[in-house]
Amino acid sequence: MSSSILWRGPTVSVPFHGRTDEHSRTVIAALAARGLQAVLVALIVGIFSFVMMQALPGDAAYRIAAGRYGYDMMDAASAETVRAELGLDQHWTAQLADWISALAKFDLGRSLVYGTPVMDEIAVQLGHSLLLAAGAVLASLLFALPVGVAAGLRPGGLVDRASLGLSVLLRAIPFFALGILLILVFAIRLDLLPVAGFRGPEHLVLPSITLGLGLAAVSSRVVRDAVTDAMAAEWQLFSRTKGLSTRLTMFRHVLRNAALPVVAYVGVQLAYLIEGVVIVETVFAWPGIGHALVHAIFSRDITMVQGTALTLGLLYVALNLCIDLACRGIDPRTRAAGRTGPRS
Amino acid sequence: MSAHRARPQAKRPSLDGGRILGLTLLGLLTLAAVVGPDLVGQDPARQSLLEALQGPSGRHLLGTDHLGRDMAARLLSGAQLSLFLAGLSTVTAALPGTLLGIVAAWFGGWPDRLLTAFADAVLALPGLLLVLMLAAISPGSWWALYTGISLTLWVEYFRYTRQRARVVLAEPAVEASQLLGIGPWMIVRRHLMPEIGPGILTIAAFGAATAVTAVAALGFVSVGIRPPTAEWGVMMTELLPYWRESPFLILQPVACLFMTVLALHLSVGGGVRP
Amino acid sequence: MTVPGQEAISVEALRVFTGQNVLLGPIDFHVREGGMLVIIGETGAGKSLAVQAILGTLHGSLRAEGRITVNGQRLDTLAPGARAALWGRKLATLPQEPWRSLDPLMRSRPQVHEAHRFVSCLPRRSAGIATDRTFGSLGLHGAERYLPGALSGGMAQRVAFAAATAAGAPILLADEPTKGLDTVRHAAVVSLLAQVPQAGGALVVITHDIAVARRLGGEALILKEGRMVERGPTRTVLVSPTTPYTKALLEADPACWQRTRPHRFDESVLMADSLGIARGGRVLIDDFSLRLHAGERVAITGPSGVGKTTLLDTLAGLLMPARGTIRRAARLAPTGMQKLYQDPPAAFPARVRLSCSLRDVARIHGVAWALVTDILSRLGVHPSLLDRRPGEVSGGELQRISIARALTVRPGILLADEPTSRLDPITQRDTMNLLANIANEERIAMVLVTHDNAIAEAWANRRIALNAPQVPAFPDSGSNPATDPIMSGRESA
Repeated sequence: MSSSILWRGPTVSVPFHGRTDEHSRTVIAALAARGLQAVLVALIVGIFSFVMMQALPGDAAYRIAAGRYGYDMMDAASAETVRAELGLDQHWTAQLADWISALAKFDLGRSLVYGTPVMDEIAVQLGHSLLLAAGAVLASLLFALPVGVAAGLRPGGLVDRASLGLSVLLRAIPFFALGILLILVFAIRLDLLPVAGFRGPEHLVLPSITLGLGLAAVSSRVVRDAVTDAMAAEWQLFSRTKGLSTRLTMFRHVLRNAALPVVAYVGVQLAYLIEGVVIVETVFAWPGIGHALVHAIFSRDITMVQGTALTLGLLYVALNLCIDLACRGIDPRTRAAGRTGPRS
Repeated sequence: MSAHRARPQAKRPSLDGGRILGLTLLGLLTLAAVVGPDLVGQDPARQSLLEALQGPSGRHLLGTDHLGRDMAARLLSGAQLSLFLAGLSTVTAALPGTLLGIVAAWFGGWPDRLLTAFADAVLALPGLLLVLMLAAISPGSWWALYTGISLTLWVEYFRYTRQRARVVLAEPAVEASQLLGIGPWMIVRRHLMPEIGPGILTIAAFGAATAVTAVAALGFVSVGIRPPTAEWGVMMTELLPYWRESPFLILQPVACLFMTVLALHLSVGGGVRP
Repeated sequence: MTVPGQEAISVEALRVFTGQNVLLGPIDFHVREGGMLVIIGETGAGKSLAVQAILGTLHGSLRAEGRITVNGQRLDTLAPGARAALWGRKLATLPQEPWRSLDPLMRSRPQVHEAHRFVSCLPRRSAGIATDRTFGSLGLHGAERYLPGALSGGMAQRVAFAAATAAGAPILLADEPTKGLDTVRHAAVVSLLAQVPQAGGALVVITHDIAVARRLGGEALILKEGRMVERGPTRTVLVSPTTPYTKALLEADPACWQRTRPHRFDESVLMADSLGIARGGRVLIDDFSLRLHAGERVAITGPSGVGKTTLLDTLAGLLMPARGTIRRAARLAPTGMQKLYQDPPAAFPARVRLSCSLRDVARIHGVAWALVTDILSRLGVHPSLLDRRPGEVSGGELQRISIARALTVRPGILLADEPTSRLDPITQRDTMNLLANIANEERIAMVLVTHDNAIAEAWANRRIALNAPQVPAFPDSGSNPATDPIMSGRESA
């Protein structure tokens, strides 16, 4: 029914950004489309951040100076320094032009609160976020693949019905609520795993499982449907009746065909993944970009908001590009397109 | 033998057990949000530190929080807020989204390209980032939250309607109706609406669930609705430190959120029959 | 009747059940090596169930009973696994719609190669040589690197044939092998299948098409609603049928249709003048002219892809011609030209009751509902059908309702795009007869687009043959005096 928006959307269906109706696109065209999306992301984030800057209540310079030096240490002189530094006294069109051109030069500025270059902060946080995202995708595949394949091979069977019920229940628990429940059970009641923060690999377990379970709630059903469809396809039966064994049919035909919708769906889920990273990092005080973004919004550190939102947006675009290329790898039709067949 | 080749009929939600459960639950939640606060008769904002962290009693049906406020009153007040925002953003996303989808499919050409480009621009970023940035412009205000949620949700109706409408409008049935002299309004009513109606309802239910979740999540991470407003996400943040003294308290808003989202998901029947 | 040693496949008292209901059977047949059996029946006669029961691929809710013997070995008593072991080795199947039976993500060659390699268990090199030989002998050179989606229907069929028979199974079951192919290609399929008995194998073909059965020969078995009504040598059965059903089936063949003289009027209702029609930058039809008279029946024929439907839509005013003019008689209302469609359910709003669709039309044109019911009863449509939705009515009934709907607005011209190609032969004959009568009685001019020359010849007063663009234009052979030699699509760049 739709693409992803916010935490969880409807079950499955129309792939994101019309990926399938673009069978005939060349690699260059795919790259160009994602490149355009990246530019769009930068523009949207830049303009939003600029508006945020303008919308700061009261005299922005005083507020920022207060944030930076503390209320005790702040005076008119330090406010003027801030004003000059940020160019707050120009006309807004000139300021917007400055703002966007700085962005175009990858100059993300300094944190309004800490005064450190935003780029340096992000360089540290990005690694943490990527680690969490990878852990989450891994966890979701570990749940979704076995359960989905088992359910899909016997549709209507016990595994199918049980996993469907579980999926419906899990889908109704938002990421952060799931995080709270897991913290309460595993970290506090059972004292098995650390609650929050990031000091060692064991800190990765709970956040990854939180995100992974949430993603697997839907993707296990996608795997199940893909397997069911492939097993019910006429080409599957023909492969058997022409004499290939179940195992050969599985490895030579079913797997590749079933993998295609699953990989395409991982693309759909990227939006949930990015959103989930933001929320789950905050719940678990994970020192990544999402946590930094929420913290920056809370403390009105707008350059930080811009830098982190931009990084997350570009990460989203980059991951989407990877999925595009993976789909091309699996589906020879996209590569063969452009060359017409011998339709005689 | 009848009907050689029935057209694949899009799933029509039938009243299975899950749907009945979902609709009942949804009805009860709405009823509770509307008349509940009067029945409880407590002010959700009235603090009483002497009564803090109490268990359920005749006076406080679900106990009190760390500031001695009545939990039942606060949960119901939160339900009002969540359901109101969800309802409002669903309506204001569904109407323009569906209409623009029909417009894009009907006219094609530049209106289609323009609207599709706008929709793609909204989808360039994950929805939450857009909502977060809007929330950052005007922190704590419900309208920023509402605008952000509506802005991201309408795309879903638009894309679905446009895609289905393009298929339906290209069918011979529409051409036949046009040859028979049937006007655009009747074509939309007879051909299009019955075809996309169930899908729109499904998107609406899931969209409303998304909105409820979004409000709570932003409240929980302290960038949405702010304390002291009684909002489920805010309540979770406030009550999390007291889980050891009274674990029952933190579970209450979690359960409310869970039930609302579950009710919405089940109400379209899609959750039970994939 | 059969010599036991030569018997390849024999089926005795085969029945297929769903619950307690018999869907098929009992049917009996024996096919010897070098022999051929054609199972003939209309849609829904349970023909495909016979193949599935023999193979053991019936859907889980269905159950088969009866004795199935292949080369002296009982199949029905075998365990599913042991039965599957015979697939490809003893029993080969050519599936319906080969396009959907080939793995869409694998190129043609490996789909045949894997059968040589893993079913015949040849080493990789020999399997490759065998595959190349098969591709060569079936005229598939050049198709090796293509994915099934890029193959034509006929080529996909040959690739499926190559894959199914790679391991040399002596028995081939072919389920509707001509489905989805132009009639022009039927001869090629028949000669492909005929290779099997010539090579000493046994062939079982299932078809609804009498013409295909006639071409194949061998033995025939006629099925009606799952029951065997007649059996015998194909030529005998098809020449002197003994049961009323077989007779009706044969009479439905266009060659046997009763011809009616048109009530032709001099008034011309449509004039197309030197039309040029292009689609997707390709010129389909150049310099096409037509003068259509009231009450006249014109058929446009030609192979698929030649632009028949595009031409019809241009005449209907739905598409703009690249050049040329189309003029309608002044007396025709804007709705004076109506159209019938190939797939009747697709011609009605899918989720609305038929009565609602018809009432809409009547209301807009200020036609009394009594008049509509009158038209419906004249066309033999039972009023209770109108309470249903399009998907719940059979194709033949629905096509009559769509004719009634068109008549409601009193058209002067009726355009019909393959209106009966999805209908059973008997229904097809009835529908075309009905159209001919309407043309006569109501003075409606009709243009029929069809790929079936036999129907065009039997039904039309005038035929226009469109030729494939590569072939130089030639007027239809003068064998039929009704053919109008002036009209023909011309080849173009």
